[in-house]
Amino acid sequence: MPFKLLPRLLVLFCLSLLILVLGLLLGSVNLPLEAIVSVLSGQGAPLHKMLILELRLPRVLAAFATGGLLAVAGALMQVLLRNPLADPYILGLSGGAAVAALLTMLAGLGVFWVSSAAFTGALLSTFLVFGLAYGSGQSSATRLLLTGVVVASGWGALISFILATSQAQQLPGMLYWLMGDLSHAPNPLIPWVVLLVVLCLLIPLGRTLNVLARGALQAAALGVSVQKVELLIFGLAALLTAIAVTLAGSIGFVGLIVPHLMRMLFGYDQRILLPASALAGGSLLVLADTLARIIIAPQQLPVGVITAMLGVPVFLLLLYRSNR
Amino acid sequence: MRLKISLPFVFLLWLVTNLAYAAVEVTDDSGQLVHLAKPAQRIISLSPHLTENLFATGAGDLIVGTVEYSDYPAAAKQIPLIGGYNQLDIEGILALEPDLILAWHSGNPLAQVERLAGLGIPVYYSEPRSLAGVSHELRQLGRLTGREATAEQAAQAFDAGAEKLKKRYAQQREVRVFYQVWEQPLITLNGEHLISEGLSLCGGVNVFADLKQLVPVISREAVLEQDPEVIMGGGIKEGEGEKDPAWLIHWQKFTAMQAVKANKLYFIPPSLVQRPTPRFLEGTQIMCDKLQQARNH
Repeated sequence: MPFKLLPRLLVLFCLSLLILVLGLLLGSVNLPLEAIVSVLSGQGAPLHKMLILELRLPRVLAAFATGGLLAVAGALMQVLLRNPLADPYILGLSGGAAVAALLTMLAGLGVFWVSSAAFTGALLSTFLVFGLAYGSGQSSATRLLLTGVVVASGWGALISFILATSQAQQLPGMLYWLMGDLSHAPNPLIPWVVLLVVLCLLIPLGRTLNVLARGALQAAALGVSVQKVELLIFGLAALLTAIAVTLAGSIGFVGLIVPHLMRMLFGYDQRILLPASALAGGSLLVLADTLARIIIAPQQLPVGVITAMLGVPVFLLLLYRSNR
Repeated sequence: MRLKISLPFVFLLWLVTNLAYAAVEVTDDSGQLVHLAKPAQRIISLSPHLTENLFATGAGDLIVGTVEYSDYPAAAKQIPLIGGYNQLDIEGILALEPDLILAWHSGNPLAQVERLAGLGIPVYYSEPRSLAGVSHELRQLGRLTGREATAEQAAQAFDAGAEKLKKRYAQQREVRVFYQVWEQPLITLNGEHLISEGLSLCGGVNVFADLKQLVPVISREAVLEQDPEVIMGGGIKEGEGEKDPAWLIHWQKFTAMQAVKANKLYFIPPSLVQRPTPRFLEGTQIMCDKLQQARNH
């Protein structure tokens, strides 16, 4: 375990806490810090109570969980596919979720059904890709990647079809879902539990992941049962992504860029990279969502817009500096 | 027998046909001058509201093609479809040989409509954004179709209906209203929207009237902060009744809001208020009744 990186991780942790508090403070109604303290200690004005307990706290927690899930899933996909362009959605998972979610919206069903359909669609897509890539026995990362990318394009075509044929008043809802939107995220308890459990499961596996990231042949030569570990990674990444998509629609960018960012700051050891990615992904999404809520308040932006706007310059700057 | 055609008779015939088919010139809602050599006989309507308004002026029989969701009045459902409002079947439109296309400026894909105009078919762009805009549109449609008399009747009936509502509710106490257009994302409308004008007719005040966008996406927080006296809105699905529409349930947990506390959450049938047509007054009447109910509560 690279203990010398632990202080950095601690700084990241404190930063995450700070951003969570910021997310609670800011909104169309700005609250003083005392209001939060008094509400969290069980007192405070009814309006403040409602704002914090019913709206902001669940939303901020959901945003953090979504970001964390996506970043960890992205890091896993990059190990699995040994491809720097891999992200949680590369194997068509978000496409399957989107098609199912849009279909329920087309049928006029409520929020609960949309979320359930998204989860089912994501799992369905996972099994489809898995079956096609591994069905014939032998498989490789390239084959899995190709299968996933082609299935994703198929979903993409279906999404365009649904958008082109649906009613005008349904379009904003669909577009917000596709861009990622946290305003209707359900209870974030399960996502948090899953995120923590998966992290606890993966960190002991860190050494194996480190070897695997260098290549399947090297890993096999070093005694890793590649197929089994790959299956585990694939399954976990799919589960994490499916939950994230269920919470907030398909939010792009976090799962691709955050793991790269963390590699620049923390190096290649998965045992520290995965928790760091979870913290950074969560923080980035909370920050982006807070900005999406306040930039043109009381009007709202979809969070996906802000994630990329925040992340791109930071990433480019780090990339530029790391080259010198 | 030799057919005798006298010169005065020919002149009379010429005069009569020219009176009946006099050239028509009207300015549409985009400011363009629409010129027809004679009143339109074969009309394509590219929006459900235009179909509805044509029927209201007594010119529904002239429509040869329309778009999906043109469902009112019942006769409109028999008209052949030429695509959805946002996806036009250009070839299908040309095959119907229209002599006038009624387009919806903010709804139809302008590039496709421009293409039709480029092929020499006159296009009238409609964009009624107010009560006065609706009766103006009815009169314009009357001119375009040569059915001025019935159109004028419809327009006057509409104006009179609006005036009646205005008079009845002018003296009533003002009620602060949040009007919810859509649940996910949460969408409302600003003061320039027709629905907002309908609300003010009933003595309702739209709490988000000052926002810049016509139909902005807003945060739930902003609604809590405004703490409106009444929350109104349509269902997610057409035909979804007053029986617990999904959006209503979402508000129930915010018990500190006065609208929730006094249970002043009202359902407005979206089909009656979402189109700028004479039926909008029926929808406005329902909004007025609900506001009155809220005042007396």
